[in-house]
Amino acid sequence: MSVPAVAVSNVSKRLGSHQALTDVSLDVSSGDAIVIVGPSGCGKTTLLRLIAGLEVPDAGSISANGARVAEPGHNLVPPHDRGLGFVFQDLALWPHLTVGENLGFVLGSAHVPRAERASRGQRALDMMRIGQLGGRYPHQLSGGEQQRVALARALVGQPQVLLLDEPFSSLDPDLRATLRAELHQLRRELQVTMVYVTHDREDAAALADTVVEMRAGCITAVTPFHR
Amino acid sequence: MWGWRSSRTVVIGLAAALFVVSCVLPLASFLMTSLRGAATAFTLDARQWGLLVNTAGLGVGTAVVATVIGAPLGLLLARASLPSKALLRVGLAAPLLLPPYVVALAWTYLGNSRGLLATVAGYDALAAWTYSLPAAVLVLGLVLYPLSMLAAEVALRRIDGRLEEAALMVAGPRGVFWRITVPLVAPGIMAAALVVFVLAVSEFGVPGVLRVRVYTTEIFTAFAALYDPGRAALLALPLLALCLVVAVAAVALLGDRFVSARRGAGTPSALRFERSRALLAGITVVLVTALGLPLAVLAREALNSRSIIAAIGGSSEAIVNSLRLATLGASAVVGIAMWLGYARARAASGLGRLADIGLVVLFAVPGTLVGVGLIDIWNRPGPFGGLYGTDGMLVLAYLARLLPVAVLALAASSRTIPMSHEEAAAVSGAGWLRTMGRIVVPQMHLGLMAAWLVAFVLAFGELGVSILVAPPGETTLPIRIYTLIANAPSSSVAVLALLQAGIILGPLVVLGAILAHREVS
Repeated sequence: MSVPAVAVSNVSKRLGSHQALTDVSLDVSSGDAIVIVGPSGCGKTTLLRLIAGLEVPDAGSISANGARVAEPGHNLVPPHDRGLGFVFQDLALWPHLTVGENLGFVLGSAHVPRAERASRGQRALDMMRIGQLGGRYPHQLSGGEQQRVALARALVGQPQVLLLDEPFSSLDPDLRATLRAELHQLRRELQVTMVYVTHDREDAAALADTVVEMRAGCITAVTPFHR
Repeated sequence: MWGWRSSRTVVIGLAAALFVVSCVLPLASFLMTSLRGAATAFTLDARQWGLLVNTAGLGVGTAVVATVIGAPLGLLLARASLPSKALLRVGLAAPLLLPPYVVALAWTYLGNSRGLLATVAGYDALAAWTYSLPAAVLVLGLVLYPLSMLAAEVALRRIDGRLEEAALMVAGPRGVFWRITVPLVAPGIMAAALVVFVLAVSEFGVPGVLRVRVYTTEIFTAFAALYDPGRAALLALPLLALCLVVAVAAVALLGDRFVSARRGAGTPSALRFERSRALLAGITVVLVTALGLPLAVLAREALNSRSIIAAIGGSSEAIVNSLRLATLGASAVVGIAMWLGYARARAASGLGRLADIGLVVLFAVPGTLVGVGLIDIWNRPGPFGGLYGTDGMLVLAYLARLLPVAVLALAASSRTIPMSHEEAAAVSGAGWLRTMGRIVVPQMHLGLMAAWLVAFVLAFGELGVSILVAPPGETTLPIRIYTLIANAPSSSVAVLALLQAGIILGPLVVLGAILAHREVS
């Protein structure tokens, strides 16, 4: 059996007085698309943030490609060295940078040579069908365009694992369906592993290889999804 | 996300160390000196009672006047349809930036026996009032009312309009205003009144100019005239206790809102006021009384000067010094406060509340006490003494006075940047310094510019600490004006006071012009 791209082992996490996760274990195989569903406050976003290295587990451990990246009280590998792309729920597009500069910042932080940045950024934008928007600022874009920029920014660093935290929750149903289909297609083309958090079961039906159900900080079911 | 070993620890640690040296050590040193003589502190003569009554009267009176003027103005700015509102807000807030002693000076030129009022009326109408506690209350009230105004406006804008709309379904506008709106904004207005109280009892220049005996003037006399630092420290203890209690009460009232940026909440309110002549007349009266009249009185007095150029030329060194030191001070204040404000914004809520209390308490410490504390620390042999007697003491004075409030302001600015912006940068591989430099600080640029400007203005007008710690032979414009009041013709003093007001209000006029242009276009 191959080494999982992400392995979460017996992880617990308390946020203030709230026990967000209790003894959660989950393996994400390379190339797999996992969709985590559950009601608000069930701990799905916390689990995603632990995988990303934005939170530290209180108990248990997290591994990436067989190497331990987090253990109780410590992140052994910082977020940027975990080979991840992250799409935040509020998208977190940097408002003072243009779309091109948003992508350029990611490439610059990854020490991509300056000469390559523009072309790689443009490729990512073209892939998301927003190649003409590089010079615009986030506030000059529609909701759907902003989503595409957030995806382009998450993918421009060529991550092995793409993490998405309810990225389409604020969109109308038609646009949601369109972007879902595009994301599904894109993931297949890029062969990228994906962990997608949502409370919408339609997202799961459209995107998942495996559906993980959570409730009250625990995983209650892991169901392979045959499309 | 950022570990203890990251550059964040080094930078914020360094900023915190500078904060402790400039703000905490002077207070600690002052307290040590005071407590050594505490046995006699409470057996001082009956003068203490007089001082306490005068000081409390100044604080309470000013808070009442400022609230009575400021709160209704805040209400109008938040809820009335007014012409050129942004410009109006700048104009109404402008008196806050005028050094209070400059306004006090204008008051004396208006009300003394040879003043404008006596000339116009033909007799000395304000004979008993020119140099008095009520005059000090009025002057400080007119300088500090913008704090109440801005607090009331912010509190009103935060109210979710749906709360009032729900009440309008069952009650008339008047009932909704008194039963729903006023209770919701009352804590904000009350907290502003407490801050005004603290600023009034900490004020040195106005009671000094208007010859009102309060703790700050008495401490200054004990220290600078009688050379009795022990007595100065003892005198300061009740004042310090008063300020600290009130500051803590203000934090308790406002809670986490101390570091929240102004932001509307949900639906705009349906409870609004129509523009009327009476409203506009009221606003005009405040603008003329608080801003136009003092400047006009100073201008009239300055025109009596034989040579305005000579008056300015004689103080050119003080003017240049003030500009240079205020620039340096404001830059240092913002340079340090930026990191600490960020740290406060990102702190856990319990620790953050504690930090807020500490910051407000430090801000509430009267300037004269800070001055005594700074001298106590730096006027000694050894490495500390190297700075004493240099310009560096004035920069330290500005840091001690302005850092706490700058940290609070920049914490509010940092808070407007979602944490996810930093997290996105961290996931991208950016280190903390790169994230701060490219993501956080650029988004704070308006807050940083505003903080620098306010710090510059306040440093440029600072008197209470500067007058104690300025090295021999070195003077700033406020010190020069204050010392010339007793030793030079009033016209020369008025020229300098007007110049100071002009330098402070100049950028504000530019800002007003930009806002007016935006509104027109």
